[in-house]
Amino acid sequence: METAANTSEIDQGLKSELQKKGIVVTAIQDLYNWGRRSSIWPLQFGLACCAIEMIATACARYDMDRFGAGLFRASPRQADLMIVAGTVTKKMAPQVVRLYNQMPEPKYCITMGACSISGGPFKDGYNVLRGIDRYIPVDVHLPGCPPRPEALLHGLMKLQEKIDSQVIEKTEWYQKGLKREFPVPEFGPNGLNPPYNPEVFTPGQQRPITV
Amino acid sequence: MFGLGVLKGMMVTLRNFLGSYFSKERLTTVQFPEERIPEKERFRNFPFLVYDKTPEDPRCVSCDICAKECPPKCITIVRDSDSAGKPLKRPKSFDIDFSICMNCGICEEVCPFDAIFMDHEFELAQYGRFEDLNYHKEKLLKSNDYFKKIRPTDAARIDQKRAAKAPKA
Repeated sequence: METAANTSEIDQGLKSELQKKGIVVTAIQDLYNWGRRSSIWPLQFGLACCAIEMIATACARYDMDRFGAGLFRASPRQADLMIVAGTVTKKMAPQVVRLYNQMPEPKYCITMGACSISGGPFKDGYNVLRGIDRYIPVDVHLPGCPPRPEALLHGLMKLQEKIDSQVIEKTEWYQKGLKREFPVPEFGPNGLNPPYNPEVFTPGQQRPITV
Repeated sequence: MFGLGVLKGMMVTLRNFLGSYFSKERLTTVQFPEERIPEKERFRNFPFLVYDKTPEDPRCVSCDICAKECPPKCITIVRDSDSAGKPLKRPKSFDIDFSICMNCGICEEVCPFDAIFMDHEFELAQYGRFEDLNYHKEKLLKSNDYFKKIRPTDAARIDQKRAAKAPKA
């Protein structure tokens, strides 16, 4: 998915020239994006071994707090970002989708590691979901098994770039009558029902840019 | 005494906190995008293909051993053929799906032609899942000089082995 460049209403040359003279000019949108970009609170939520790397990223050596994303929230109601760190088993998938539904808008999702992107080495197993993007929209895919902490920081920076390029009037969550409730799959004897959400999971065709 | 252990533990934290104002060793944070931890030579992430002189002439002969040995089956190789349909000893396409690869390094171990090695590149986050994370031959091919730069010990050993094997001209 491509993201558009940040198209600000203010002429960039004029902006930097004014800045040299001590006048700071900004659009509401830039301020709004800056605020959201600098305080992405992740959900304290790990599923498997990638969560260990996520914890390491939050610790002193890598220190995710430098990006404003170090405050891991124990409640989805206070979180902006879901880092799906680890294998999503079919039994866990409904709970993951439910947690994502409980998060308030605007919300983002990073899939960390091969398992959560595509199922990874377990993709042919009977009990593992082949990628969480079958049920919820994913913003940044982060390959690796597991990705090292710097890689997670790089993924976070990619997400910040994406947030920077969003336009207030066009963001999904300010549209009228838009429902961003993703149907929770049901875990039964034959696996998950439905097997994927056709609104979200469209392999082979690019999802429309939603920023 | 009850709670003495907690106090002892907190003393370590306090010593590190106060010490960080005076000693640089106690400041552990690496400011990631600007400064990096030097990579270990044996660190491995995703595979890449080696070519000796030009990218059109890779070491890979498309023998398909790595694709068969790959535990999550993330390698897809199509063998090239000439205009008469005779198969050639080079890949037409060589794809590795990074969204599935589990960085095990078995492809490197089994390759009899020393053509595939594990890379140090890790900044690979992408917005899209399918085409963005499927790496084609063009993206995977890297020069032997690059391999020498990231893993000097292994590269020297491989070069020595290949020189001994090569037919004397």
